[in-house]
Amino acid sequence: MDRFLVGRRVLVVEDEVLILMMIEEMLADLGCESVASASMAGKAVALVENDTFDVAMLDMNLNGRSSLAVAQALAAHSVPFVFSTGNSIDEVWDGFADRPVLRKPFRFEELAGSLSRVLAR
Amino acid sequence: MAKKPRKSRKQKGGEAEVARFRDELGPFVVSAETTRMAMVFTNAKEAGNPIVFANDSFLELTGYERDEVLGQNFDFLTVRNTSTEALAKVQAALDGKPNGDIEILYHRKDNSEFLAAVVICPVRDERDRIVQYFASFVDLTRHRDAEQHLQALINELNHRVKNTLATVQAIVRQVLRTEPDAAVAREAIESRLFALSRSHDLLTRENWRGAGLRDVLETALAPFGVMASQASRLTVAGDNLRFPPRTALALGIAFNELATNAVKYGAFANAKGTVAVSWSVEATQGGDRALLRWQETDGPTVVPPVRKGFG
Repeated sequence: MDRFLVGRRVLVVEDEVLILMMIEEMLADLGCESVASASMAGKAVALVENDTFDVAMLDMNLNGRSSLAVAQALAAHSVPFVFSTGNSIDEVWDGFADRPVLRKPFRFEELAGSLSRVLAR
Repeated sequence: MAKKPRKSRKQKGGEAEVARFRDELGPFVVSAETTRMAMVFTNAKEAGNPIVFANDSFLELTGYERDEVLGQNFDFLTVRNTSTEALAKVQAALDGKPNGDIEILYHRKDNSEFLAAVVICPVRDERDRIVQYFASFVDLTRHRDAEQHLQALINELNHRVKNTLATVQAIVRQVLRTEPDAAVAREAIESRLFALSRSHDLLTRENWRGAGLRDVLETALAPFGVMASQASRLTVAGDNLRFPPRTALALGIAFNELATNAVKYGAFANAKGTVAVSWSVEATQGGDRALLRWQETDGPTVVPPVRKGFG
């Protein structure tokens, strides 16, 4: 299943540096070719608009603020993505209910599985 | 909106009723008038249950004058579009078949709304006919606000716990994938977890609004004894820039790494090395950027590392 991830360009939007480093490491282990990251919604939207990504993962909460604008930009550019969140009960925003949600902390296998699933769609 | 008060036949009847009431039940009427619990009595014999008695607490709660209340139907405070469930419960209580606690949205004279817990009890005459209703009201607004605030805090706490667990996961994974020696790995994991914990303490003192860069640095270096015993060997230059909580946590761990490294292999590993930490702010298109410099001088000769690690 992880073959979907080999050579992929991934965007990671996450505001906790240590968690971001871990995710980057996990993605490198999965064979992803390049990983771009952003910890602020504005920078993430700019990356989505000016660069091309095969897949993305998006923290729903960036420094206490919603990252809905990034989700909308990803959807507008048809970049498949998964959400990540520290909330265990939060519902996904309207219009994004079909996106997978990784709940922190998540396992390497969960990350690999959900990214592969959205890429295989 | 309230109907304009008018002395209808109904209200005059109501007033007569109150007078009789007062004569017959003197001390009880006084206590009903003065209790802090808002309450009214209604005349059950007339359609709409007009209010025949309202105490001072009720007037205080609703903002109405007494003559604006007397003669009004019992439901005159009900907010339009209030839940049908609440209305059904009021009706059930009036029908003598109470059906659980009633929480209902009412409006004050100034049209502001409040959530009230209402208790309705029938008052029966000697022939067991319902002649009046007694209703008491407790304003639940503050209670509800406190409950919502509490729920928000619980959600925030949960969010923080989950992120902290993910951070711990990141620390453990990072150390274990680069450090084959179990004892060294344990020490590295502990050192980072305690650095995380000290940053939490700092943020808690600041009510999790953020922390100053100088405070983050001092908190991170405190366990190394650098600030006290080696003060002359550490210089810090830069304003106490405020950082949001998550950035402060990451910086705390980064300073911990740098200090650990300096004590083990760097400028603090001998008796004369010095560390200069400085930072400045640079305006960029994407917002302000802080440039931080950690400079070690006169440390031991650098030996190329055998393994590459996080430190």
